[in-house]
Amino acid sequence: MAEATIPTFMRGKDKIMSLSDAVKTFVKKGTCICPGGFSYTKKPFALAREVIRQDIKDLFVTMNGGASICEFWAAAGLVKLLDTTYIGLEGIQPVAYSVRRSIQDGTIDVEDYSNYGYGLRTVAGRYGWPFSPCMSEFGTSFMDNDTFAKMGLRGKKADGSWIHPSIPPARAAVIEDPFDGWGLRPHAFEGGDGTSNQTNALEKVRESTAYTGKQGVKVILVPPILPEVTIILAQRVGNKGTTRIEGILGPDAEQAISAKYCIAQAEKIVTEEELRAQPYSNTIAMQYVDAIVEVPYGGFPGQVPYYYDYDWDFWRAYTQINRKDKAEVNKYIRDWVMEDEWTFLTTRPGDGYPTITGTKGLQRLFELRADATYGYKPGLARPL
Amino acid sequence: MSVIRQSDPKGWTHVNDDEYEAYCKEKGVDPEKYTTMELLAIAAARQTYDFSFIFAGTGLPMIGCMMAQHTYAPNALIIMEAGILDPKLLEVPISVSEARGGYMCSTLSNMADTFGTFAQRGFCTFGMLGGAECDKYGNLNSTAMGGYYSKSARDDGKTGPAVRFAGSGGANNIASYADMGLAMMVQEKRRFPEVNEYVTSCTGSRGPLNTPEDRWHMGLFRGSGTTIVSDLCIFRSSPETGELEMSEIYPGVDEQLVIDNVSWSLKKAKDFKPFEAPKHEEIKIARMVCDPHRIYLGRKTKRELAAEK
Repeated sequence: MAEATIPTFMRGKDKIMSLSDAVKTFVKKGTCICPGGFSYTKKPFALAREVIRQDIKDLFVTMNGGASICEFWAAAGLVKLLDTTYIGLEGIQPVAYSVRRSIQDGTIDVEDYSNYGYGLRTVAGRYGWPFSPCMSEFGTSFMDNDTFAKMGLRGKKADGSWIHPSIPPARAAVIEDPFDGWGLRPHAFEGGDGTSNQTNALEKVRESTAYTGKQGVKVILVPPILPEVTIILAQRVGNKGTTRIEGILGPDAEQAISAKYCIAQAEKIVTEEELRAQPYSNTIAMQYVDAIVEVPYGGFPGQVPYYYDYDWDFWRAYTQINRKDKAEVNKYIRDWVMEDEWTFLTTRPGDGYPTITGTKGLQRLFELRADATYGYKPGLARPL
Repeated sequence: MSVIRQSDPKGWTHVNDDEYEAYCKEKGVDPEKYTTMELLAIAAARQTYDFSFIFAGTGLPMIGCMMAQHTYAPNALIIMEAGILDPKLLEVPISVSEARGGYMCSTLSNMADTFGTFAQRGFCTFGMLGGAECDKYGNLNSTAMGGYYSKSARDDGKTGPAVRFAGSGGANNIASYADMGLAMMVQEKRRFPEVNEYVTSCTGSRGPLNTPEDRWHMGLFRGSGTTIVSDLCIFRSSPETGELEMSEIYPGVDEQLVIDNVSWSLKKAKDFKPFEAPKHEEIKIARMVCDPHRIYLGRKTKRELAAEK
């Protein structure tokens, strides 16, 4: 095997990289990229900002768990394809406006899954399975719509290669359960009085002829996700790649392990020994992490459990800004990220939007530190 | 099944009356009068019962499940899809994946695991959701209106859907696995069509009961019907037909207003009754315990804004 084709980690090279080098090495025009984290929590915003600084266009974003990063990228006009489950910003803005506008005006093409449907795709991706079984999504419009198929992005080319290496040949498939629903009624949960599960309609499902034309229990199969790059944020990453995520995992581990490459943005790079003293608490095995970048507070304006809280005031202001004219929003977001992360973190927190205390830059970040008992900042003022 | 509800306010989370009065003064709210969002939170909490499993979606359900935990269902287990099981909510989360939502939970795992270990296995009594559109059989649309497809997949020359919503998130899965749907929505005629253009989540029977169009005949092995808590009334699935019927009506709301704000010919449930007005204790808890910053409760519906004018 030629040395050049051997992955970086197997050549014993240092995985620790600068933010700009990590993005330059792994993210290219048109890359299928999977941002980790969930809505406001543990989002690798420093990496996301660097993608904007390097102006990497035509991204194919595949994601589960909230659209905050995708919102910034869409605002900067960098997204072309979207394979997703949810494009909202939850409690602060029900639909992320830049993403919404770009889908409505034809800038972004989108394929939809449900969270569990997509989550099962990440499970298949993690374990290298050809598919996962899913008992949800039956009876809905998910089953009747397939954007990527209509765009001709599924299947193989004449030369036998995949039309798009990160798009599976089918959105989903329905088969008859070869085990006749046996696994769907575990003995302890037959339904009704005395158990948690109140309903079990398996007998009615057995009469079903939907999707396959034959009577019996059906199962939806979903394909794995195979992104080229996943970006995640972890509180601590060992110098060889062992990763520990504290607090809510969301989709991070599965998405990181499914990808060809994973860039881990760390609050702190630590020695492997520090994490290997309690290996049962570690989240991602070392060989799945290809690049490590250390950016303390790089999750700003989001929340990193046990480290710092989200900047509520920023999001409140941003969700007004992103409703402005498209060109204006694009300019805003490109200015906002500044020339590098240090300049950003020392300047932008508390800058250009009102905060109750009036603090800015590092002082503002310091103010958002989490309380160790709660993992967030109790009593953080969150006015609407 | 015997249902347990902590109906005695003495068992609820305590709120000091003096502090409440000071709070109302500070926020400029009437201590006795409830707003629409407060009513929605209270009405949703009343549907739940103790020791149940409440799988809560994002948005209004955050405040609904928190309200339930501090009143009628103190031992109900809340599930949030990012990996949270049975948190003790001290501050209202703005996301189903934030540290506020995970405080003192039993386990904290990942997204696929939450749906698998809890929902698929049957630990999902109530699926609490919000939605943009709700049809006659309790199907919710939270994806798109004016054609689903984006530009490159469309045949009509348009650039994309007329209105794009957030998409399913976990809503589809929560609705698919829940024993009972429980959705909170603002009621407008255009948001309550006879048939949804796009079905994101089947919270109710999906189609007429005992036909190939019902949820079970489409392959879903759970569910028994849904309760839709709107800002005018409470709808429930008819046990005979699966259609949504007017089941309870809020104080001061005219029946005709409810009828005028759905697109099908609405029937009244056999056990139709008036909804008991929110209690003082409930309003206190909604405000001071669940959402003191009024992140959700401070929002106003179009109807409220029109009434103010």
